[in-house]
Amino acid sequence: MRFLFYDSITRLEKGKAVSGVKAFSLSEEFLRGHFDREALVPGVIFIEAMAQLLGWLVIYTHDFKLSPILTLVEGAHIPPRLRPGFKADIYGEITTTTKRDTLGSAAVFIDGQKIASASRIIYSHFDKIDPDELYRRFCYYSGIKNSETISQ
Amino acid sequence: MRYLLVDRILEWKANETARGIKNVAMTEDFLEFHFPGNPVMPGVLMVEALSQLAGWLTAASSDFKGWFLPETVDKCKFYGFALPGDQVELTVEAVTVEQDRASFKAIGTVMGKKKAVAEFSGAIVPLAEIADVDKERRFFKILTRELSL
Repeated sequence: MRFLFYDSITRLEKGKAVSGVKAFSLSEEFLRGHFDREALVPGVIFIEAMAQLLGWLVIYTHDFKLSPILTLVEGAHIPPRLRPGFKADIYGEITTTTKRDTLGSAAVFIDGQKIASASRIIYSHFDKIDPDELYRRFCYYSGIKNSETISQ
Repeated sequence: MRYLLVDRILEWKANETARGIKNVAMTEDFLEFHFPGNPVMPGVLMVEALSQLAGWLTAASSDFKGWFLPETVDKCKFYGFALPGDQVELTVEAVTVEQDRASFKAIGTVMGKKKAVAEFSGAIVPLAEIADVDKERRFFKILTRELSL
């Protein structure tokens, strides 16, 4: 299983907001054992999806010079009993960010209806990274070839 | 990857508490992308492991009639990483248990050091609707080492 919970990034606003999409299929690895008689997307996967997408906004905002480490999530609402077979729209927003840490929030929608949210997501930042490598991973993961074309 | 994040249950007391183990192995699939070149167990999967232990406690306390599924994570705080080779000790404590709802406080430690704490609540759903009850009963005996081969 590739531990990536978005399929593409569709919008990036430096220092502000990010949007992305993830399709949830019946072939997801995390459905093995969750459960045998009913396939249920584990709710905490949505927390990871929100944290991963917002994390890319933090990286993009700081010009690929640091990497965010998730340290706190508060006020997260997740769906307990959701069957796969849908496309989720994931949104994240930065409330404040400095070189040391970031506070933000995020939500997940299916057909315009909110199914998950987190009111506070906090990351501390790690700067022992290779910006070029991080930028290459961003292009591969996000599907964005030239980040300038969708920034505002 | 099989999404089973509890390897062993050390002790449990009906509707009160459970203690279990999650071993982190270098073979875990999630380590390839989390993170490339820096394998660490995702904090969110520690929350999942704690939630699954709450599920086992709910099942064992209800003669395998119910299973716990989280709906709200009020708070989860991560203090450090669990690395491949680490044994995460999971502890959950029931805060409230009603017929169809429950809330828990939980902690994950490695060698006595706190790695994650979480407070979550959710629904108790009929286990028979989502899983094979006899299979789950047998699996619980494997987790608690009650099954003799």
